[in-house]
Amino acid sequence: MLSARNLSFAYENGKTIFTDVSLDITPGEITVLIGPSGTGKTTLLRALALLDAPQAGTMSIDGTDFRFPVPPEGNPPPPYPKLTTVFQQLFLWPHLTLRENILLPVRLSGQEDGPETLEPLIRAFDMGEFIDRFPNEASLGQRQRAALARSLMLRPRYLLLDEITSALDVEQIAKILSHLKTLRGQDIGIFIITHLLGFARHTADQVLFMADGQIAERGGPEILKNPQTERLYQFLSVIAAAS
Amino acid sequence: MSVFDILITYHIAFLQGLVVTLQLCGIVWSLGITGGIALGIVSAQHPKSWGRVTQGVSFGFSAIPALVILFWLHYPAQAMFDVVIDPFYTASLTLCLVNLFAVGEVVRQSISDFPAQYITAARVCGMNTRQIVRYIQLPLLFRQLLPTIMILQVGILHMSLFASLISVEEIFRVAQRINSIIYRPIEIYTALALFFLAVCLPINMLAAWLKNRYTRNLSER
Repeated sequence: MLSARNLSFAYENGKTIFTDVSLDITPGEITVLIGPSGTGKTTLLRALALLDAPQAGTMSIDGTDFRFPVPPEGNPPPPYPKLTTVFQQLFLWPHLTLRENILLPVRLSGQEDGPETLEPLIRAFDMGEFIDRFPNEASLGQRQRAALARSLMLRPRYLLLDEITSALDVEQIAKILSHLKTLRGQDIGIFIITHLLGFARHTADQVLFMADGQIAERGGPEILKNPQTERLYQFLSVIAAAS
Repeated sequence: MSVFDILITYHIAFLQGLVVTLQLCGIVWSLGITGGIALGIVSAQHPKSWGRVTQGVSFGFSAIPALVILFWLHYPAQAMFDVVIDPFYTASLTLCLVNLFAVGEVVRQSISDFPAQYITAARVCGMNTRQIVRYIQLPLLFRQLLPTIMILQVGILHMSLFASLISVEEIFRVAQRINSIIYRPIEIYTALALFFLAVCLPINMLAAWLKNRYTRNLSER
């Protein structure tokens, strides 16, 4: 399990992004993080991915502990790619085709069946038409699928996803989300930041609502039907009004 | 006397001048490029010490004409220290310094401005530092730097003509000497232009080709 306890994060200029955040990501479960823009969701994801060190708190990943602030003796090395991330901006390497982007880390990790393993994923994500293009020759939606495929090929245990369906059409979103559901069966713990409340409602095992730098409400998907806090109620009302 | 006749008649002198020019450029290119790359890497790793020095000296060299530096090192500096240095070495030192800091600054900038997100993506994909350098940073930096460094080297070849002004017997000085004997400036300087065209054009074309091939527009739609 990936457990975070009392994480707090502030920038060097003193601006606090989130305080006292605790959460668990369990293998085989989908945890959905929702909340208004600018509340620190992406910063929280980067902290959970051990990319940015929080100022306070602890994390434990399958029994390996990480303390913040980082102690003088340092923390253990992050368990990449067992823990991996797909960023909202994707960060595909521009000198490699999408296929090479996906296969390079796989090859370097020592997996020899990369090209064969990729084929089913190409079909599942409809990537056949553009898999040999460079990132700048592909649309955002195509790049999102390739970035997700790159992470999935690494067979992670914890997959952190930041708004990875923002540029996809409804059909593609359905395909990706359906694939994420199958990953749950493969004992992968998925943490996903999304604005797709329908996905959260139908698929999430745990929903976290983040507002004003804190987890304002948490629970099963039912909290989206019966919010217990005024803040989540307001958020859902705004979204309902907008849609 | 045609260009061809002049080249035939004075081919030994031209060849000697060409050898000196190529020796000068060979020294300046090899030391400037290898030293510049090393300087750029160290400067990027230590931005507050080496980085500032490289940036400052590079700004200085780009502001002062190479000819002034060359003359300064050839006349006042040698008079001050009461030494006499072969003009070939003075010219080599001057052009080496200019090339070293020009290449160093280009490399420093490219490494410093390298998009951190590509490294982050590689880290979360499980790559170690050596793999990141080899498979992500080096290929991208190579594509970015190679054409720029090649064009800098063409500039250095052009600058090597300044060496003639401190009596280095390179190709331009040889051409001037032959011209003073036979006074056929059109033919002689046309021959010289053809020589530079023959050397520089392929380098420029290669740089343009590499730029086109490797630094294609990488910006995403």
